[in-house]
Amino acid sequence: MSDLVIETKKLTKIYGEQTAVNSVNLHVKPGRIYGLLGRNGAGKTTIMKMILGLTPITSGEVDVFGQNIKGHEKRIYPRIGAIIETPGFYPNLTGTENLEIFAKLRGTPQPNAVKNALEVVGLPYKDKKLFSKYSLGMKQRLGIANAILHDPELLILDEPTNGLDPIGIAEVRNFIKNLSVERGKTILISSHILSEISLLADDIGIIDHGVLLEESSMDELEKKNRKYIQLQVSDIPKASLILERQFHVTDYAVQDEHNLRLYDTALDMAAINKALVVQDVAVISSQICNDTLEDYFKQITGGAGIA
Amino acid sequence: MLKLIQVEFLKLRRRKFIWLMLLAALFMPLAAVFYFSSVKGTGVDPIMFYKWTAFSYTPWIILPVVLGMLCTMLMYNENQYDMLKQLWIVPVNKMAYFFSKFAVVLVYSICFMLVTATASILTGVLSGYIPFDSESVLYLLRKCMEISLLTAFAVLPVLAVAAAQKGYILPVCLTLIYTFLGFILLMVNMYLHPLSSMTAIVMYDIPGVVFDQPLNIPAAFLCIGVWAAASAVLANVALVRRK
Repeated sequence: MSDLVIETKKLTKIYGEQTAVNSVNLHVKPGRIYGLLGRNGAGKTTIMKMILGLTPITSGEVDVFGQNIKGHEKRIYPRIGAIIETPGFYPNLTGTENLEIFAKLRGTPQPNAVKNALEVVGLPYKDKKLFSKYSLGMKQRLGIANAILHDPELLILDEPTNGLDPIGIAEVRNFIKNLSVERGKTILISSHILSEISLLADDIGIIDHGVLLEESSMDELEKKNRKYIQLQVSDIPKASLILERQFHVTDYAVQDEHNLRLYDTALDMAAINKALVVQDVAVISSQICNDTLEDYFKQITGGAGIA
Repeated sequence: MLKLIQVEFLKLRRRKFIWLMLLAALFMPLAAVFYFSSVKGTGVDPIMFYKWTAFSYTPWIILPVVLGMLCTMLMYNENQYDMLKQLWIVPVNKMAYFFSKFAVVLVYSICFMLVTATASILTGVLSGYIPFDSESVLYLLRKCMEISLLTAFAVLPVLAVAAAQKGYILPVCLTLIYTFLGFILLMVNMYLHPLSSMTAIVMYDIPGVVFDQPLNIPAAFLCIGVWAAASAVLANVALVRRK
């Protein structure tokens, strides 16, 4: 049996003629935060819905805790807490009353489960404010409280920081991190905000147009992101000629009419600078840089960046 | 299942429209006060009075329309606020979910007919049209119970359609068509439509009621049963598809 908490094999979803998710192989390891990163409409929510059995799978397989969710709902669902899209609640009830309904349905054994869950997300217990009067941020927090209410082993959070203010985002990020670090929860989180994923995730999956382009740990990704020397000069053609002829540099890329990148960071920059200046190429700047996750995202999606 | 039913009632907190709809139970008893004052006067047979207040338009039109609206409200709200996916991952069994809604409809139907019965007694006795007679009161309560239970089962098709729809327009239109069709079919074939079958079962022993078709109580129960079973199947298919 696989030791993965979630494993998808060639997971595919087709709506009419549109392929929303194409042959996705996802591997979520226990106790880790897996960040699913992609633009809006990339297929993140559809993948999460298929994992949860909320939408039929066109082809492929999903295993959660080593089992296919279909037919094992009663055993698997109590081990999962989830927010999919904007969480909906009964508008005529307060936050506490809404959570009490879910606690009752789940048969949550802890007497203070509702109070504890609300405390974790910073919402008041037994408050008289109705859900219909909640701000978007409060609704999102209540959704997270509902997801953690029954102390699940696995959390599936679809864009949980949507609608939160910057302080709220930081708070949610911290308690998601704490849930993983202190309580060993496995978390699958999706976002279109790159900084969120880079600050939270241990493992990352980059999805674009329904295709999982990359899946690796953040550590591997950081190693993979190439170091380079960013050189800003007055005359790119002339500088290129000097680099190729005099220093035999071939691994470089011209960015625009004044910038080029040298991917061999062991080059003798003092000698290069001197040679360029001597041959009337002004060196405006030269520095060692590292590709950011955004650069990497652009590179592998072959398009514009992400927020 | 019991937990689900309890939860269904918890969800109805602060829903004023649910209480407002109960006012419809007072319509026929109040109308009777004006009718009997102008037409019949005092000294009316209690059964005749109750026939007018509780056994006529209330089971034929008012109660089915009110229950149809309730079915629509119960299903529409969860769709509107995108609650179903949260319920399915609890997990909540789809048939148990459907029947917990039905339990609310059934309890509401009983309450509605009890309000009608109470209002009938009060308006009749207080206005002096009928004497207070325990035998007729028990008869009224028994008939009201029969009406409430059978009507709740008879509106199961509306509940199933409401479960299959995201919007409320179709279930509301269906409620009206379904109710009036039941009323019309009462005069054509009582055993085709659950509401007309319900009328056949309830009205057969009410004095002064004459049917122009042969009475067949098993056929009436069969009609209600077949429609209820078909509704449950439709609801199950719709809820499974509507993940």
